[in-house]
Amino acid sequence: MGALERLSQISGQISGSKSAREKLLEKNPDDIVVTACLRTAFTKGGKGGFKDTQAADLMAGALKGLLERSKIDPSLVEDVCVGEVLAPGGGATEMRAAALVAGLPETAAVRTLNRQCSSGLQACVDVANQIRTGMIEIGIGAGVESMSLQYGPQAVTEFSELLESHPEAANCKVPMGVLSEDMARDLKISRADQDAFAAASYQKALKAQQAGLFDEEIHPLTVKFTDPKSGETKTVTVNKDDGIRPGITAESLGKIRPAFAENGSIHAGNASQISDGAAAVLLMRRSTAERLGQTVLGKFVAASVVGVKPLLMGIGPWKAIPKALSLAGGLTNDDVDIFEINEAFASQCLWCANELKIPKEKINPKGGAIAFGHPLGCTGARQVSTLLYELRRRGQKIGVTSMCVGTGMGMAAVWVAE
Amino acid sequence: MAAMLEFRTPGWNPYAVKYSPYYDSRIAVASAANYGIVGNGRLFCLGLGPQGVQIEKTFDTNDAQYDLAWSEINENQLLVACGDGSIKLYDMNINEFPVMNFHEHKRETFSVSWSPVTKDTFASSSWDGTIKIWSPARKESIKTLPVGNCTYSTSYCPSNPHIISAVSTDSHLRIFDLRTPVSAQYHLTTKIPVHVPPPVPPLQGPTPPAAPGEILTHDWNKYNHTVIATGGVDKVIRTFDIRNPSAGPESIMLGHDYAVRRLAWSPHASDILISASYDMTVRLWTDGSSMPAQQASPVKAGIQLGIMNRHTEFVTGVDWCLFGVGGWVATVGWDERLLLWDANRLLQGQA
Repeated sequence: MGALERLSQISGQISGSKSAREKLLEKNPDDIVVTACLRTAFTKGGKGGFKDTQAADLMAGALKGLLERSKIDPSLVEDVCVGEVLAPGGGATEMRAAALVAGLPETAAVRTLNRQCSSGLQACVDVANQIRTGMIEIGIGAGVESMSLQYGPQAVTEFSELLESHPEAANCKVPMGVLSEDMARDLKISRADQDAFAAASYQKALKAQQAGLFDEEIHPLTVKFTDPKSGETKTVTVNKDDGIRPGITAESLGKIRPAFAENGSIHAGNASQISDGAAAVLLMRRSTAERLGQTVLGKFVAASVVGVKPLLMGIGPWKAIPKALSLAGGLTNDDVDIFEINEAFASQCLWCANELKIPKEKINPKGGAIAFGHPLGCTGARQVSTLLYELRRRGQKIGVTSMCVGTGMGMAAVWVAE
Repeated sequence: MAAMLEFRTPGWNPYAVKYSPYYDSRIAVASAANYGIVGNGRLFCLGLGPQGVQIEKTFDTNDAQYDLAWSEINENQLLVACGDGSIKLYDMNINEFPVMNFHEHKRETFSVSWSPVTKDTFASSSWDGTIKIWSPARKESIKTLPVGNCTYSTSYCPSNPHIISAVSTDSHLRIFDLRTPVSAQYHLTTKIPVHVPPPVPPLQGPTPPAAPGEILTHDWNKYNHTVIATGGVDKVIRTFDIRNPSAGPESIMLGHDYAVRRLAWSPHASDILISASYDMTVRLWTDGSSMPAQQASPVKAGIQLGIMNRHTEFVTGVDWCLFGVGGWVATVGWDERLLLWDANRLLQGQA
């Protein structure tokens, strides 16, 4: 069997115990690596540049961009998995069509999946696992959401009597805002703390945008846009997140009325924005990447998924992150350079960070969903770009992406930038 | 050390040595060409006579040999663990070919161990992350126990035929009890993180590293059948009482300068063990269990009783002779040598 592997095993035994971090930074031919990743800009639901663009069109644009950037032969891509939450029928038909539009041949299979807010991450993880088991050699994990066109009450059907009769099951349909409000109150996360966290997200995102730190990850798309005032339809190129606003401070957020309860703490300014956007990640084995001459941006290491009480869905990352760190070979918080934790609500993100004792400066250094939006199915795939480009820019290595998931789950994944 | 017998294996780098459980004059050495990295393997069956150590039989394999075990039911038979994942049963009365070939492991088989109690099964562990239980009479394994990462060594409890232990890359010592239902845990009953420091550190000496490290070897104490010693890449030898898996190590032995490749408890004394290392030395230890208890810490610091440094390359195998006055030891190393010597002389400072 593999002489090189035997050699490196023995040399590993001689060079002594490596720390979990050192082990993680090793480059092995069977690593699952990212050779290209990008996202579209995120724009405000119902108002922004993508308000008239179908999710499938966003995805087609992102996939096309990914193929262009990576310069990979599209016929080598064997499977595409798209996370999408709101589309009827999971958007399966539309995404297959979008892949064909993007230039993938009919030999590239396509599927969609829905694990709520972690769909984009789950898509990347599924593709990585497919590659790891040898089912495919090259795949794309992606995510997309048009909340402008597909967000609404039709997203959940009526619960049956059976589901309603089971208290914990019935909790699954409690709206996110309402349960987060209760959770913030019960866990004593003050309005002031939430507003400060949210303001920091805005300020970090603004600074990053001004410094051009999103330019690498954003793939500009040219789309049709109908001006709501004049009714005139024009063609626009969207290359900037439009949710990022200047001048936001904890004080200015302090003036906004709570959205879900009269004496509540959660409002539009300290919760994630409703947005449109798409993201995609090209994955393959390191040996494949080297054979094809692809640039390796980073590697996927491990992912975790956990369940929590449906009413406490916001604590998902608190449970998922330690599990992912342990699956990655026993990492500690100190080993991780950046945590991208989705800001569904300032309350839950802040609570998780505090409970896990993650230093503030390691969390979402370029801001998060509060500042630039959370297109549900897209976010998990978006975080990969945000994380890897920032780690590379800083010369840092290990990052974690994580999010809470509606109905009470959490996901987290460990990535290494190269 | 005057009384030391030597046997050379030119062109072959030994990986394991075992005394026969039947004859005091019979020894086997499993070896590999090119340090086990690429090439064939050769099993040496050796006899001790008036002329010194002589070859009785050799068996060649297509891939490296990493371990061997003598049959407990047939004095002429022995198993070798091969680099291609196979396990071969050889009979010294039959030339050249194995009498049985067991090939299910998907990667290198790193250890074999014959059940010392019922004697009707043997266990193997592999880089493929599994332990397999076999009957010498059938080609298919009886059971597969998943470990999930490269499993360097597996062993039977010396008193209970249902209990099997294993150590692996992930820094854990696992105990399987085959009497438990297979559901959920696949017979896994105990999983001890070897690297985790004891709640109260030992009083004397330096503290051992707390980072996870590959565990390369382990052995059951022959007198206290709940005590297991482990050794590995972090250079530390530790003993554990499997009745209290969360208590951390019972004793800690520091001294080797590189990874501990193999260790073996004495068949003649409950507190004595011997270890072979990549630092080219073999060291004799007491685990401290026969010394009076210390007040402040339940963890004992074992004491190095002697050091043998005649090997000139990695020492990969060590075994005690079961017979005679006790204390005879066989060691092999990548220096293409088998050395037979009396560990008692180490105690007398005559090494």
